[in-house]
Amino acid sequence: MAADEHISVRLEERLKIKIGEAKNLQPRVHGSATQRDVFCTLSLDQEEIFRTCTVYQTLSPFFGEEFQFEVPRNFRFISIYVFDRDRHLKQNKVLGKVAIRREQLSSYNNKDHWFPIKAVDADSEVQGKANIQIKFEPDVNKNKPCSFNTLRKLIVQVVQCLDLTLKNGACDPYALVTVVYTNGKRISKKTKVRKKTTNPQFDEVFTFYNSGSSSADDSKDVSSPNGEDPAEICELHVSIWHDSPGISDDVFLGEVRVQLRGMQQQNSAHRNAWYYLQPRSGKNRPYPTHSTPPGTRLSGDNSLGSLRLQIQYTEDRVFPASVYDDLKNLLLESIHVQPIKATSVYILGEIINKMDIAQPLVRIFMHYDKIVPIIGALANVEISNVTDPTTIFRGNTLVSKMMDEAMRLIGLQYLHKTLRPTLELIFAERKPCEIDPTRVRDANVIAANLANLKFYIQRIFEAITQSAVYCPALMCQIFHNLKECAMKHFPENKGVRYSVISGFIFLRFFAPAILGPKLFDLTTQSGDCQTNRTLTLISKTIQSLGNLVSCRSTQQVCKEEYMECLYKEFYTEAHVTAVRQFLEIISANTSACRREADDMPVTLKEGLMIKRAQGRKRFGRKNFKQRYFKLTTHDLSYSKNRGKEALCRIPLTNILAVERLAETSFKMKNMFQIVQPERALYVQAANCVEEKEWVDLLTKICQTNANRLNKYHPSAFINNQWLCCKSPNELAPGCSEVSRLDNNYHMSLDPERDLQRIHSLIIMHINTLETYINLSQREEMICNILKQLREVAFQIEHKHRLYKRNLDRNTKYGSLAAPIGDDNYLLASRMNIDTSVLRRCVSSEPSSYS
Amino acid sequence: MTRPPNDENLPTVKLVVVGDGGVGKSAITIQFFQKLFVTDYDPTIEDSYLQHVEVDGEWCILDVLDTAGQEEFSAMREQYMRKGDGFLLVYSVTDKNSYENIMHFHTQILRVKDRDTYPMLLVANKVDLVHLRKVTEEQGRELAHRLGIPYIESSAKDPPLNIDATFHEVVRIIRNQPQSDKDKRKKKKLQKKCVFI
Repeated sequence: MAADEHISVRLEERLKIKIGEAKNLQPRVHGSATQRDVFCTLSLDQEEIFRTCTVYQTLSPFFGEEFQFEVPRNFRFISIYVFDRDRHLKQNKVLGKVAIRREQLSSYNNKDHWFPIKAVDADSEVQGKANIQIKFEPDVNKNKPCSFNTLRKLIVQVVQCLDLTLKNGACDPYALVTVVYTNGKRISKKTKVRKKTTNPQFDEVFTFYNSGSSSADDSKDVSSPNGEDPAEICELHVSIWHDSPGISDDVFLGEVRVQLRGMQQQNSAHRNAWYYLQPRSGKNRPYPTHSTPPGTRLSGDNSLGSLRLQIQYTEDRVFPASVYDDLKNLLLESIHVQPIKATSVYILGEIINKMDIAQPLVRIFMHYDKIVPIIGALANVEISNVTDPTTIFRGNTLVSKMMDEAMRLIGLQYLHKTLRPTLELIFAERKPCEIDPTRVRDANVIAANLANLKFYIQRIFEAITQSAVYCPALMCQIFHNLKECAMKHFPENKGVRYSVISGFIFLRFFAPAILGPKLFDLTTQSGDCQTNRTLTLISKTIQSLGNLVSCRSTQQVCKEEYMECLYKEFYTEAHVTAVRQFLEIISANTSACRREADDMPVTLKEGLMIKRAQGRKRFGRKNFKQRYFKLTTHDLSYSKNRGKEALCRIPLTNILAVERLAETSFKMKNMFQIVQPERALYVQAANCVEEKEWVDLLTKICQTNANRLNKYHPSAFINNQWLCCKSPNELAPGCSEVSRLDNNYHMSLDPERDLQRIHSLIIMHINTLETYINLSQREEMICNILKQLREVAFQIEHKHRLYKRNLDRNTKYGSLAAPIGDDNYLLASRMNIDTSVLRRCVSSEPSSYS
Repeated sequence: MTRPPNDENLPTVKLVVVGDGGVGKSAITIQFFQKLFVTDYDPTIEDSYLQHVEVDGEWCILDVLDTAGQEEFSAMREQYMRKGDGFLLVYSVTDKNSYENIMHFHTQILRVKDRDTYPMLLVANKVDLVHLRKVTEEQGRELAHRLGIPYIESSAKDPPLNIDATFHEVVRIIRNQPQSDKDKRKKKKLQKKCVFI
């Protein structure tokens, strides 16, 4: 068991949040318009990481925007703020917010929920923690004829704070230490202001005397005035403030309150602890919490309106690979076992929601290079069950979902390469394309709209049909298997060899991507109604064209009348031939004339960031400027604005290292550095999520660079020295090891994490698994595999239990890892499952198991 | 049949047809609007149809949205769910999977609408394929009972079965929902929701 205590376990969190719509927002009271222009922001604690578009003139805005990210750091709350953009006052007014505790996120998984919007006031917007030492000591002054208690003094040391909030981009914090006496008297003392930091180191000590006087010199006049009872210290408040000189008051950043009554009595009472900063407990604040507890809908008032959100939060503690060996083998065996119904993969698809299980399965099989056989095996059983060849793979099954995930994983760059140019054009031009006479005011515009639409469709059609040679080999192999399989089962049906492919590549790949380009990272822009409608019309036509070769007979009717004019244009022999050729090439057996997609750069990520001048010119200040960055498969470049000529291009081969930059270098958060042969480029990302994405992506893509550095400087070269190692030589080699990817060989896939995900899902559905075991007693093979799955899950779960027990034992309340003030710290039992079955397993487990 | 009155102020009723891919949503819709059965399967992304119809002597404009059944388009679902006044939840009696997925549509509609009931009709399609039937009438009725919505069996293949009846029934359900009850429902909903969170 000793081994278990030292294994390295990493925590991986992922959050997908869809901001649906708001309703019953309060109307504006000033001005003539009562409607509002509404947008939402998403924050990790107090740091904004995403923002929706603005929906104008409404009190029930629909956003429908999805955002997903890997959680880059520790956090306590996810908050969605609702804002009103006031164009006259030129400022955004916050209407309220929904805040959800990290511990409660997973309880909302997968389903839409309406949350009441809560009021926001400055006092409740706090984050961060403070380290405070409290000590009572005897007062050494012997002359005092006082009781034992009053002879003692309180020593408060404000050591430091971490993760304070930025207010308007600034944070110059100081601490205000106040003690409250039993007679109501208060004495306050301040620390010095620390400039430009959210992690201030104060290290200041304050002494307070029980008699109630404020300084050591005064302490000689012992008893309180007027012969009252001597006052005793009963409470300590440490509040943190942002110093904003000028007219405005200092800004409250949070406070810690410690009850000292009773603590005095203990001899040498001493406490050194971390505290979470809390909101200010004002008169109107009965509960000092700003969260939205679950189930507040009944009690909570909805007077500010409500917000519909869909949340998908996963949190996985990932163990080293060896822990998952059995599970991995059990899954991978699936490709050899017959019948497929008695394989672990098929059974997991039955027990667990296909939406949840498909992605980790695909990623695991991809990693072990088994994706082609597993999809082939699953597809085979599905095709053999189909009676009507026209509806093969049209439903939502495990194999269709796995194909969807596989195509996204393998073919995303291919998709971008194919669709992006035309989509960019559509977003840039935003020409009207409506051809439905019931949706236009003036019927005369239809001809012009039709021409616009035809142009776009033709461009996309050509891009797709000419892209066959770029289609990734792995996708082609899968398509080839599907085609062979379908032709074997339906030898008479001529169309099936095409329909089985177009049902995936057109229906489940190109059509959804055209319809919702944002979901495929094909654009960062949001479409207005008109553009969305254009995309819908294109998507419909492209899907029909893809389907043209297989099913369509000559007598085909037009579903919607107004589409007929389009179909006339596109349902030609030339188009049919083009689609047919395209489908043939992407499902051909050999990857003979496949061209590598490296002749044209594909954009991987782009966005605004702030960078420090690189000092390429001899003179000129090294100041910070905002630039539009773009990372392609060829280089990293930046320009003044989106779509502008690049000011600088850094070929990927020139990137020697990509590392975070110590915050102390420029006193700026979320900074990273791109080390090149001559110099380093220092860049600040908009938030922690963006920073992680850029660093991860750049690291991955430069991982194979031959001249990668082994060492780097964690800080910048400022005032003629490296802040990290103090070396005065700008060319001095790095002083710290570059960070290695945990698992160097898998660049983008992380099988342990996916195996852990599958394990978590099995544990969540362990009762269903039990039911299946009971139901399948007669079918020995299936029963066997079910029992094996259960066994493997119990084994892994056992490790989790041991690990958790260890963690509980070693985590001290009040330590940095578990600060005081979070009522449910270490809520590791937050898995919403019936654990009775598990308890059985763990207790029956031999304790020597390791 | 009488002619539709020339009244511009006819009420518009928005219906949305949902269900898994390949269950025959478009076949039902086209049979209703164009009175013919399409034999070829062309997956739908999003089609809309308008028509004046008379139900129980009252005229209205029927605005029907035929939707994509594939999960890949699920991101678009909530948009039309917001707009619909009534929903046809369609499954195929030859496809057990599509029957099981009805639950998801039902749940999402109620959640988007923030109500605990909403005008919906469970449609068991393709009942003409007797020899391929995998979901029985009992199972269908049981599901409808569980969801608290009416059940109907249909076939779009000629001769069509219950196609007009299906659409007319949803219009009736929408008309019959008591207007004054809407607020009450909402309150009841609040209490219920609290329990399962």
